[in-house]
Amino acid sequence: MNVAVVFDGVLAAGLVWAAAGALLGRDRYRAVILFIVFGLLMTLAWVRLSAPDIALAEAAIGAGLTGALLLDALGGTTAATAGRARRWMVLPLAVTVAAVLAAVLRALPVRSGPLPDAVSAALPESGVTHPVTAVLLNFRGYDTLLEVAVLLAALLGVLGAVRHAEPVRLASAPVLQAAARVLVPLMMLAAGYLLWAGAHRPGGAFQAAAVLAAAAVLLALVGMISGWGRPSLRLRCAIAAGPLLFLAIAAPLAGRAALLVLPPQHAGLLILLIEAGLTLSLGFLLAGLFLALLRSDPVDTGKR
Amino acid sequence: MSATLLYALTGCALFALGLGATVLVTEPLRRVLAFNVMGSGAFLVFVGLAQRAGVSDPVPQAMVLTGIVVAVAATALALALIRRLERDDDDAR
Amino acid sequence: MLIAWLIVLPLAWALAAWLAGARRGATIACAGVLVQLLLALALAREVAAHGPFTYAVGGWGAPLGIDLHVDGLSALLVLLTEVVALPLVLYTRAWLVAQEQDGTYLWPLLGLLLAALHALFVSADLFNLYVTLELLGLGAVALVASGGERKQLAAALRYLVASLVASGCFLLGVAVIYGIHGTVSLADLAERVPADPTTPTLLAGALMLLGLMIKTALFPFHGWLPAAHGSAAAPVSALLSALVVKASFYVILRLRLSVYSGWAEQLDWLPALLGGGAILYGSWCALRAERLKMLIAYSTVAQLGYLFLLFPLLAVGELALTAGALQILAHALAKAALFAAAGIALLASGRDSVAGLASLAGVLPLTWFAFGLAGTSLMGLPPSGGFLAKWLLIDAAIMRGQWIMILLVVASGLLAAAYIFRILSCAFRSAEREQAVALRPVPRTMEWVAFALAAASVLVGLEANAIAGLLGTGGAR
Repeated sequence: MNVAVVFDGVLAAGLVWAAAGALLGRDRYRAVILFIVFGLLMTLAWVRLSAPDIALAEAAIGAGLTGALLLDALGGTTAATAGRARRWMVLPLAVTVAAVLAAVLRALPVRSGPLPDAVSAALPESGVTHPVTAVLLNFRGYDTLLEVAVLLAALLGVLGAVRHAEPVRLASAPVLQAAARVLVPLMMLAAGYLLWAGAHRPGGAFQAAAVLAAAAVLLALVGMISGWGRPSLRLRCAIAAGPLLFLAIAAPLAGRAALLVLPPQHAGLLILLIEAGLTLSLGFLLAGLFLALLRSDPVDTGKR
Repeated sequence: MSATLLYALTGCALFALGLGATVLVTEPLRRVLAFNVMGSGAFLVFVGLAQRAGVSDPVPQAMVLTGIVVAVAATALALALIRRLERDDDDAR
Repeated sequence: MLIAWLIVLPLAWALAAWLAGARRGATIACAGVLVQLLLALALAREVAAHGPFTYAVGGWGAPLGIDLHVDGLSALLVLLTEVVALPLVLYTRAWLVAQEQDGTYLWPLLGLLLAALHALFVSADLFNLYVTLELLGLGAVALVASGGERKQLAAALRYLVASLVASGCFLLGVAVIYGIHGTVSLADLAERVPADPTTPTLLAGALMLLGLMIKTALFPFHGWLPAAHGSAAAPVSALLSALVVKASFYVILRLRLSVYSGWAEQLDWLPALLGGGAILYGSWCALRAERLKMLIAYSTVAQLGYLFLLFPLLAVGELALTAGALQILAHALAKAALFAAAGIALLASGRDSVAGLASLAGVLPLTWFAFGLAGTSLMGLPPSGGFLAKWLLIDAAIMRGQWIMILLVVASGLLAAAYIFRILSCAFRSAEREQAVALRPVPRTMEWVAFALAAASVLVGLEANAIAGLLGTGGAR
């Protein structure tokens, strides 16, 4: 038995164990921690599946930002509510559904589709050399455009639902602030690197934006910036600038015949422009999802 | 069975677990965790199944990247609604 | 080109409206929707003249890129979106002023919602459909929650969870399809699948169907809808009932007609059965509802079930499709009118009860007229669009010998009449009017919008020929 098989087996089992613990356990705090563990295990799974872009995104967005949002949400006053009576039904139901799905999928013939070759063939005209970036921002860039709209809708929903009267600022922690002063510029550098590297190797706008958002979360947690009340015009412009730039490049203007046509000779530059705009705007946007929800009372880690 | 197919099957298990928990557990925060697990399961199936022959396929990878971003958006919105409901409950007391 | 602008424009003005603030946001929205209406008319005209066309986004073409496919049905639904949106924008503007509420987030969310609808109706790519469904869902939830009341927030959360479970199922279906066929392009799948549908493909179809049925609130997955549509702000409820739930139905129809055609006829009885249940259950709850907006929301559950009766009749051909399209149009306009009128009643009387409508007897004649006209379309009285849709459906059912269906169609009309009369009978209870509290004044714009939408739901019956023509030459297959 080789090591890889054992590793995969343990990882797969660990994923299911962490998920089950997070969903069916008793304690809310432990549930969130297990969920973050689950996110980190997912990152490893993505690496094993030769998907480093997804691994980066899962680590930064899935485990990182979502984890931060959930930990902040733990400070709520409602204790674990009823519904325990039905929890025992989850496992049998899940096992049945999973068995059906697995049986069907296992029976499929092992072959790969035509698209990997199609992508490689079209890659030289796409403006970048990394296939995932080419798909994300050129071949299927329309999906990315709509996905940015989804993020925007979520932010608008969050702002509309929460409506803080005035911005919240956490108590400042001098030691942590000193650490933050070192870490944040490094994180911004990392974001810049991820943005630049996205054309040739795993990276890209979303991962870079997530790192920027993480920097903002860090600053908020040490009390150097405040949460959001109603975002100012400058902030709104910063968030809107990336999508507007994307729309301007996508729109059938200036002689371009169709939506989101990137002529091969300029494609690389256009993609870099789009990604730069998105990094900035989505960085603020993802940060905003956290900052709009920031609580004034500190996270309660004690048992309720 | 190849490693990738193993992950795809794990994805099935996670999807089913997440689906069951979202439907049957009533606590709002757990539901948020549950639909995230469900989504992660679907993503694993997506990439695992597409790459079961061992060839790395950028198209499902790009799609899953999109999916992860959409999931965090939905999570944030759900948490905002939960937060606002809790705050209103607190004020009412 | 037109279709590209129909997607880019609402996204652009949504951003502009957010930047500009609440007051100017309204003006931007009005201007944007007006331009969109003109574009949609031009699109419909082009499809009617030249037939369906496929548009490769980015110039790559499926399966590498994403294709948009515009045919008679999609052009019609895009046009419907604008025809419903424009009056509602005017209504919302007046409503916000009258309620002294803040539209800061309403206008941008509206723009995003309209962009999602347009993108959905023309998409020919499964994963792209998933993204548009997500945008639609999150936008709708955000709109429901934007009112800020506790009822609305709770309903929004329930809607969100249902919507995400549904999207998750749909996404898994797409994942399995890609794993089997190596493509998510509807055109490619429509060529491959009907000839040889294997079990895994059917499983994927079942997953996608489950997700879409939840999003369309088909009985028994309708649990989230009455709360969400019944407690949201009136213009939001109008948009949701009229357009958003129809979008997921459209996706089911599209998948059934293109990818899952042929053998799928054997399973058409299932959605029809659930649809019949929806009609009976939804109408029953509407008859018992105490709150006006809840009554109208349950009516939506019933009328959506009615749409699903069309599946076993698809084999007849274009007749069933025309009936379905007419029903979607007539119901969208009528339901928007009903919610608009309900919003007026709420504003004037200050409460949302059916019994409380009696306090409005004898006043607000335009609003009562709107209730009445919209009601006739829902009941299916001639010459309204609703009547014609029912007539065509019965015609198709006779051709297929589906007698139970005819019974259900007639029953749905009678039940609709019953709960509509609950509303209309209040207009004649003038005795209670004398002891009513003072009514708040209602902006004229709101009344005219409700009336216009109701009139349109009736008049759409007169345009049936043009609609059938668009679907026919537009080649809605």
